[in-house]
Amino acid sequence: MTGIWAMVGNDLRQRLRDRSVFIFSLLVPLSLMGVLNLAFGGLGTDGLDLKPATVVASVDDSGQLGAALLDAVGSLEIMDVTIRKVPAADVSRETRDSGADLGIIIPEGFTGAVTSGRAVTVQLVEGADAGLETSVLVSVVDGLVDQFGAGMVTAAAAETAGLSHDAVAALAQQAAAGAPALTLSEGEASAEQLSLKGTLVAGQSGLFLLFTVGFGVLGLLAEREQGTLARLKSTPVPAGSIITAKALVGFILGVSATAVLLTVGTLLFGVSFGSPFVVGLLVLSISAAATSMTFIVARLVRTAEQANIAQSILAMVLGIGGGAFFPIDASGAIAALMDLNPVAAFIRGLGISAGGGGPADVVFPVTAMLGFAALCTLASRLVPDRGTQA
Amino acid sequence: MQSAATADVRTGTEDVLAVKALVKRYGDQTVVDGVSFHIRAGEIYGLLGPNGAGKTTIISMVAGLIPSDAGSVNILGEAMIPSSTGPKGHLGLVPQELAIYPDLTARENLRFFGSLQGLRRKELRARTDEVLELIGLADRASEQTKKFSGGMKRRLNIGIGLLHRPTLLILDEPTVGVDPQSRNSILESVERLGTEGMAVLYTTHYMEEAERLCDRISIIDEGQVQAEGTRDELIRLTGGVDRIDLRGSGNTSAAAAGLKKVPGVQRIDGGGGGLILTVLDGPSLLPAIVTGAGSAGMALTSVKITRPDLESVFLHLTGKALRD
Repeated sequence: MTGIWAMVGNDLRQRLRDRSVFIFSLLVPLSLMGVLNLAFGGLGTDGLDLKPATVVASVDDSGQLGAALLDAVGSLEIMDVTIRKVPAADVSRETRDSGADLGIIIPEGFTGAVTSGRAVTVQLVEGADAGLETSVLVSVVDGLVDQFGAGMVTAAAAETAGLSHDAVAALAQQAAAGAPALTLSEGEASAEQLSLKGTLVAGQSGLFLLFTVGFGVLGLLAEREQGTLARLKSTPVPAGSIITAKALVGFILGVSATAVLLTVGTLLFGVSFGSPFVVGLLVLSISAAATSMTFIVARLVRTAEQANIAQSILAMVLGIGGGAFFPIDASGAIAALMDLNPVAAFIRGLGISAGGGGPADVVFPVTAMLGFAALCTLASRLVPDRGTQA
Repeated sequence: MQSAATADVRTGTEDVLAVKALVKRYGDQTVVDGVSFHIRAGEIYGLLGPNGAGKTTIISMVAGLIPSDAGSVNILGEAMIPSSTGPKGHLGLVPQELAIYPDLTARENLRFFGSLQGLRRKELRARTDEVLELIGLADRASEQTKKFSGGMKRRLNIGIGLLHRPTLLILDEPTVGVDPQSRNSILESVERLGTEGMAVLYTTHYMEEAERLCDRISIIDEGQVQAEGTRDELIRLTGGVDRIDLRGSGNTSAAAAGLKKVPGVQRIDGGGGGLILTVLDGPSLLPAIVTGAGSAGMALTSVKITRPDLESVFLHLTGKALRD
């Protein structure tokens, strides 16, 4: 073991001295995280930062429902809405000239129409600079009108059933103004989902880990190219020590770089991945998976250039397929295949951890990553060793 | 193979290295074909042959870098195969290509390889300092080797092989691409190692190096040992004749006729104001030849003896020049 650790120490010293490991394992992924966060990070924020809106409205309806509609629009929690009432004929002009976000014209007899089941139109006028706020307001009015529509249907049904006029009106009003029988409530996201920022940090960390562990196999090829491999083989270290040392170098660099990336990502982008113990378990698992991949690369390639290309292709395929840049939706066999992707398993594991999951909750992603490691290690024994034939 | 003699080496009775009937094939091509030799302690043994003769392949098998297809390598009685660790502890390898880390300092290179050879702490520090002095890099020990000249890198390359005081040192063409000053320094170091009792296996395609350093030499061509022996023994394979060039004026014809009668003179060619004599043991015949030429009326202006060398031996054995 002394020889292995001497080789590991020697390699780490060289990697740190030539600085390439800092550039490719830390600077590039952190820069990419920053750029991606600037480009997409805003989409993942929990609350929309909506600006105050102005609605120009006319309510010619003398019943309760017209006023209720306007009250509902004016009392939204997600944005401040100012309602300015004008005559119906002026709504369009005022909306356009004043820069208001939306104009609403509630016609005379709106309540009567709803309660008796007759058709009625609420006219909306979008502002000249319609933006996200206008879209939200239109959606709110749509929802309210749909709810009132339920009253119309109820009234029509009651009248067909031969109920008295008073009974029909009461039922229609109840349907229009009452709480919906089915409601959607906003709850916590699925335990396996990270925020977009979290996904970017986790994904980029996982992706660049695949590049970082490549420094191990690159070290082996560098030994071959600079002639030191022959000298190492002539020393009394056991067979297999050299490749073990290179794998350890890749593993150590991978664990270190990923830990730094997740920590810095957490601090810079304000995301949290939960229990450090669980995160550590996930980092060790994906580092093992990524390192095992380098065993195959080491047997297939003959030069450092070939190793770089092979490692880059594998990293990009697994990284993109695993959701390092954007979430991948899949079902069936493809979804099952994706579950075996160590990057996907890593992101999913961090999602579980971020949602408060413990070690027992990450058993599946950890198993997927370690299974990947075992498969790659086994496969590397079966692949012809082109490297030693060079 | 022509065996010149069973040389009695200076020291040691036990073989440090014994190579028997070594074979290596790549596909249909046999690059090493039944090579055998042995080296004792304190002996410098040369493998002399042109590029591509199979010297480096032989060394790779001796050092346990590649497996042989047949035959055996034993170092101090232990069989050497690529997975061996015991025999490798007795071995110091100086590969033909530089085998040092450019981003590390000279001291770091030495300490790293020393630690792989089992040197620890005080011993490692002490040997590192000693070797740095020996190879003349003590004052540059803390510089990264990528800043070194070619000669300095070569010296460090050799120093790493010597660090753990191996019983057998293998030097594969250590002077290729080295300036004359560094080359001489390297050759002096190797001579010293032999006198200190280290067994040295030295490959080269430079005839002068083999002649200067090696107690015994194998002449290798096309993967086979063509001849083995001391320098003198090998030269005798050619017939052992010397050439004496006489330059001067006067009666060269009479001189030629007179010199033919000197015992040991085998042949005389004339031309260009001089005579070329083919003789046995030129240095001992020289006084009689100079006297005979003068007596016959030839006024000598220059005399030159050319003794046969390993180049001649190689030419004699293979029909081609060593550097073809």
